[in-house]
Amino acid sequence: MTLVSSLLESMTGIHIFYVVGLLIFITLFIVIFIRTMRRPAAEMNEYKESIFNDKDPDGSERS
Amino acid sequence: MENQKFYYDNKTVKLFLLATIIWGVVAVLVGVLIACQLAFPAFNFGLEYTTFGRMRPLHTNAVIFAFVGNAIFAGVYYSLQKLLKARLFSDVLSKIHFWGWQLIIVLAAVTFTLGISTSKEYAELEWPIDILLTVVWVIFGWNMIGTILKRRVQHIYAAIWWYLATFLGVALLHVVNSFELPISLIKSYPIYAGAQDAVVQWWYGHNAVAFFLTTPFLGLMYYYLPKAANRPIYSYRLSIIHFWSLIFLYMWAGPHHLLYQALPEWVQALGVTFSIMLIAPSWGGMINGLLTLRGAWDKVRDSAVLKFFVVAVTAYGMSTFEGPMMSLRNVNQMTHFTDWTIAHTHIAGMAWNGGMTFGMLYWLLPRIFRTKLYSEKLANTHFWIATLSILVYAIPLYWSAVTQWLMLREYTPEGFLAYPNFLETLTQILPMYTLRIISGIMFLTGFLIMVYNLFKTMAAGSVEANEAAEAPALVLAGKRKPLNETIHRWMERKTVRFSIWVFVALFIGGAIQIIPMIFIKSNIPTIDTVTPYTPLELEGRDVYVKEGCYTCHSQVIRPFRWETDRYGDYSKIGEFVYDHPFLWGSRRTGPDLARAGYVNGPMYKNSAWHYNHFMDPQKMNEQSIMPRYDWFAKKDVNLDMTPNKIRAMQTLGVPYPEGFDEQAVDDLLWQANQIVAELKLSGIEIEPTKEMVAMIAYMHKLGRDIEPNTNQNLDSHDTGE
Repeated sequence: MTLVSSLLESMTGIHIFYVVGLLIFITLFIVIFIRTMRRPAAEMNEYKESIFNDKDPDGSERS
Repeated sequence: MENQKFYYDNKTVKLFLLATIIWGVVAVLVGVLIACQLAFPAFNFGLEYTTFGRMRPLHTNAVIFAFVGNAIFAGVYYSLQKLLKARLFSDVLSKIHFWGWQLIIVLAAVTFTLGISTSKEYAELEWPIDILLTVVWVIFGWNMIGTILKRRVQHIYAAIWWYLATFLGVALLHVVNSFELPISLIKSYPIYAGAQDAVVQWWYGHNAVAFFLTTPFLGLMYYYLPKAANRPIYSYRLSIIHFWSLIFLYMWAGPHHLLYQALPEWVQALGVTFSIMLIAPSWGGMINGLLTLRGAWDKVRDSAVLKFFVVAVTAYGMSTFEGPMMSLRNVNQMTHFTDWTIAHTHIAGMAWNGGMTFGMLYWLLPRIFRTKLYSEKLANTHFWIATLSILVYAIPLYWSAVTQWLMLREYTPEGFLAYPNFLETLTQILPMYTLRIISGIMFLTGFLIMVYNLFKTMAAGSVEANEAAEAPALVLAGKRKPLNETIHRWMERKTVRFSIWVFVALFIGGAIQIIPMIFIKSNIPTIDTVTPYTPLELEGRDVYVKEGCYTCHSQVIRPFRWETDRYGDYSKIGEFVYDHPFLWGSRRTGPDLARAGYVNGPMYKNSAWHYNHFMDPQKMNEQSIMPRYDWFAKKDVNLDMTPNKIRAMQTLGVPYPEGFDEQAVDDLLWQANQIVAELKLSGIEIEPTKEMVAMIAYMHKLGRDIEPNTNQNLDSHDTGE
């Protein structure tokens, strides 16, 4: 732990940690957003509807 | 492909549903009791077991872990089986999970009542129960992941991602926040101290809200709302984006609970920034929920289930807007330490968690019991009473918060505090506390109507413990096919890989704030004059923890003129380096005590005052709502434990000299006799080993270390520094 402590103590600019965090988030967000929006609508609809692919105990069916 | 026959496990779901109902009544009942205690101290009943300080953790834990926890497990286990076309992984694990969880709840109720608590909000359980909780939680995860692995469908529906995030998030939070050093079966000290402990605790506290009260309920929303409305979720794309954004961002936002407090500036900035960003993914969930009902709002008119869901999702949107606004520094100075936070948490708890749970109970229980709901009319009555009670709760408390904040910062034209006595501000808001009792009784009434309705429903039906079903076996899709399968789609069918990425997303936010706080010494500047607690002060501190004094009194002064004039110099990080645990509190029902031992400060009271105040607070201040603690004068400190406590503190890095543990009892008695002698001058006779003496010593230690010339003023006793 002393090694880790010494290593971290040598780090400067700790105050920009949240800026780093923001950059990580924005990058990931853009990647996920673009990839998600490019997914085919038919695939999305199939997933959305999948929860109705069962019969409730009361016998009700998807309208 | 030929269908495989299998059976859904409805018995486990039924047990968790029943536990939800029973513990829900208990949780709300205790809530009403503590609401009464805050308005009328007589409701503390003069017993140590029923004081507000011990009942408040019982209420919060009963709501979160007993009522909401059982609702989560019921909802998850039912929807998981249906979505995956598979029976729960193991009947044995299901049984251990159910009975283990109930055992934890009972142990929590018993230990809190007895004053066995760590003092860390929503994590008050002592270490043996923490370990039990870890085991039971792993069993839950094992059962859930095992079910996912033996599923009969290719795709893992969005609701289940939230369930996985819940499991992983809570596991990470609970383990990291519970690192503590036991000194006996019922007592431990956290390994973190002061500001470090505060950061870890509110990383946990904030994310307990996220991963116990939000993510599982978003999962439930993704299943039960479309089922009840009989139409699919509005946007599956939105569900993907808001899932990853929310689980990533939530973990960073904890420090917004500690704004203006003794914490490095960068940690506070981090908390504020990510809290504001949280609005977007949170509202993604709300929008997805509400737009699912597009074209189906006519159903809401008649269905109590949908009414509850609509109020729940709307309240989720309101709370997740209000929360980030409360993280803005200028707003936070008003909302923190006042009833604003209490109103905020109750809108989320009563409307979002309560609404989703009630809606789910009304939808699910008749299905499990293969019958119709006994009375839709009673369910609607419950809805209106519950909704109205939320307003009756929140509006007076918002009013109370603004009123008290304005009074606390009011100055006379001459430049003095207009209301220097904290009690003046409290007296002003007591009528709001009476309204809160009415709200609690209303909410409880609605709850009892639901209990009647559901028990009549259960009486009319019967559970099919093993419900027959059939589905084709899962065809393994094998490796990723880049031409027709995106990375996310591939990940969605690989449970373990998916879980690893969820864990990475969760881990980053916590690691970035906690690791530097613990390892980089420049974040915690030390103060030479700050000394460790003497053995007597340490014993007094433990009594303070046991009685839950932190539930009403803070121990951190923010750098506002109206706080420093009232309580004394603002708090510095270095003052808390020996505090295992930190005791900054989160609500000031009473005044801050950070400078209670600062002899020349506004908060100092002598030993005789403290004695009389603990014996009968109303005798000292007629308007006080503090319960009496007259048993302090009767109960002894356990001197056998004192050396163990010193050794534990030494292990945690508190610089007592070598061998000080062996002198600890003598040191304690020496200091206690000084206080006894001082009390005798006021005509008060007491033995030096009583808890009262330890509490007085602790009160006089608070803030004293940084007072100029303290050593000349008081009986400072060298602890070897």
